[in-house]
Amino acid sequence: MRRIVKLLVGISIVLFALMAGATEPKQGLTVVADRPEAREFSLKDMDGKGWRLSELRGKVVLINFWASWCPPCRRELPSLERLWRLLGSENFVVLAINAGEDADMVFAFTGMLEPAPTFPILLDRDSSVLGNWPVKGLPTTFVVDKKGRIVYRAVGGREFDAPELVGQLRSLLRKEH
Amino acid sequence: MRYFRKRTRHFWTALVCFAAVAGASAAETRHAKDAETGIESWETQELGVNLSLTQMLPDQARAFYLARGFDREAAEAYASACVFQTVMRNESSAPITFHLGDWRMLRGKRAFKLKTEPEWQHEWERHQLAGPARIAFRWAQFPLEQDFEPGDWNQGMTTYPLPRGACFDLKFKWRMGGKMREGILKGVCCAQDR
Repeated sequence: MRRIVKLLVGISIVLFALMAGATEPKQGLTVVADRPEAREFSLKDMDGKGWRLSELRGKVVLINFWASWCPPCRRELPSLERLWRLLGSENFVVLAINAGEDADMVFAFTGMLEPAPTFPILLDRDSSVLGNWPVKGLPTTFVVDKKGRIVYRAVGGREFDAPELVGQLRSLLRKEH
Repeated sequence: MRYFRKRTRHFWTALVCFAAVAGASAAETRHAKDAETGIESWETQELGVNLSLTQMLPDQARAFYLARGFDREAAEAYASACVFQTVMRNESSAPITFHLGDWRMLRGKRAFKLKTEPEWQHEWERHQLAGPARIAFRWAQFPLEQDFEPGDWNQGMTTYPLPRGACFDLKFKWRMGGKMREGILKGVCCAQDR
């Protein structure tokens, strides 16, 4: 009898632990353990200005891959603008890389956002940059440190101005390298 | 006698606790129907992995791809398929990986594979669809495979080789902690053409 009671209690504890493993959706970024070198790219923004990743060495760069027809991308862009307004003056760059759409389409879409994006939106018309980065779905976001290494990743939408996420970026900005 | 009663009480208490925890952890499929649109959705959670399927009406699929450069014939081909907007979330505390090739649609005793993005791309090649239309298609589909860290999630379209209105169970799988895990969405039905 005692053995059966112990067994039932044990199984209950294991099941409870498994259930407790299911947590609320988190808003933070995932640490990329091996810190791979970020792949170089060169793209133009909506104003025709060229951006090359290697020229941003020494800054923390947040790279967000998105499209106007992607619902979670649409939801997270205003929070990315709020983050940009919060940290934009601190050696921090946001680059939002659009997947395959033309400037007219992107301009019409971003004009409807509140707040409208003021960070650079780069046009990856043939999605070659997207294909060259470890992206499987949209949105996906990476943070590149001052040495040009990918240090954080987020798959799926986030609230970019959530305290947990802002804290991670502030901590990275404080580091020398 | 008193000793025996005490032990019996312990046994029943443990049994009730076990039943309560086991019952709460059993994954159920939750079904919802939008009162205005009639669009139906199904959702379940197993071991902290959440999966939901929401019907995509033929009109929605047709309009989406026509607006992204599909010709009428190609848009119609996709609109006539059984399509769901699919959302998978890793709400557990462990990393997971999945491959759509492991997922099966169950109909009676038979199991079928999903129609994946690369299979569609072969059709679009034959249709000679333009690059931007195919790029939009690629990224609007649910990824063929992906790694999710805790908190990661994704959304995209999945298609099933079934006629409109047909119903099935979906067995979805993922790898967690070196072991293959699975869950089932029960009684999922493709949207009817309206």
